[in-house]
Amino acid sequence: MNRGIVMGEVWATRKAQSLEGRKLALVALCDTHGPTSEVVVAIDTLDARVGDAVLISYGSGARNVLSAGQDNQLILADAAISEIIDGRA
Amino acid sequence: MFVGRVMGHVWSTVKWDKLEGLRFLLVRPHRLDDLRRLSGLPANAPVPSHEGVVVADVLGAGPGEDVVVAYGHAARAGLEELKPGGPAPAYPIDAAVVAIVDRLAVSELDAE
Repeated sequence: MNRGIVMGEVWATRKAQSLEGRKLALVALCDTHGPTSEVVVAIDTLDARVGDAVLISYGSGARNVLSAGQDNQLILADAAISEIIDGRA
Repeated sequence: MFVGRVMGHVWSTVKWDKLEGLRFLLVRPHRLDDLRRLSGLPANAPVPSHEGVVVADVLGAGPGEDVVVAYGHAARAGLEELKPGGPAPAYPIDAAVVAIVDRLAVSELDAE
């Protein structure tokens, strides 16, 4: 998983049907110093807001955020916000 | 997934047969500064990026448009949905356009 900061959002009407109703968050990946220039698009089901520090899961981890279980192969998600981080030591 | 700008098309005649009928685009990922510029925020001077990803496209995105690209299973799942009846998810592709961007915005972080 990666730690990231929510920076904004993407809106699209022409898209894969199973992205319908999904919020696409723009998340800048962090290194130990803070947000880097690399930005990923992650599906957000936790309604994170701009500025929130979050954890992003990839691949089957992302699919489990949306629909946990074995038969979620065709869930269209390769990155999803799995946690909104409260604090960091 | 990542969001990027379609730079152009990629054609090939000699290819794995299951790829017949699939269009390929060259997409350059947007960095944070690109997104800030697209959102009208102050950003550093553009640094020429030579990063390019070849992605399968069935949504009909064209050069100059911004697209969301998914990787891996999600790319094949996207193709299966948009190009039903194809051999997906047995396509030998790992990146596909899953959305054509209407609007995107990043905001200034207040706790800078």
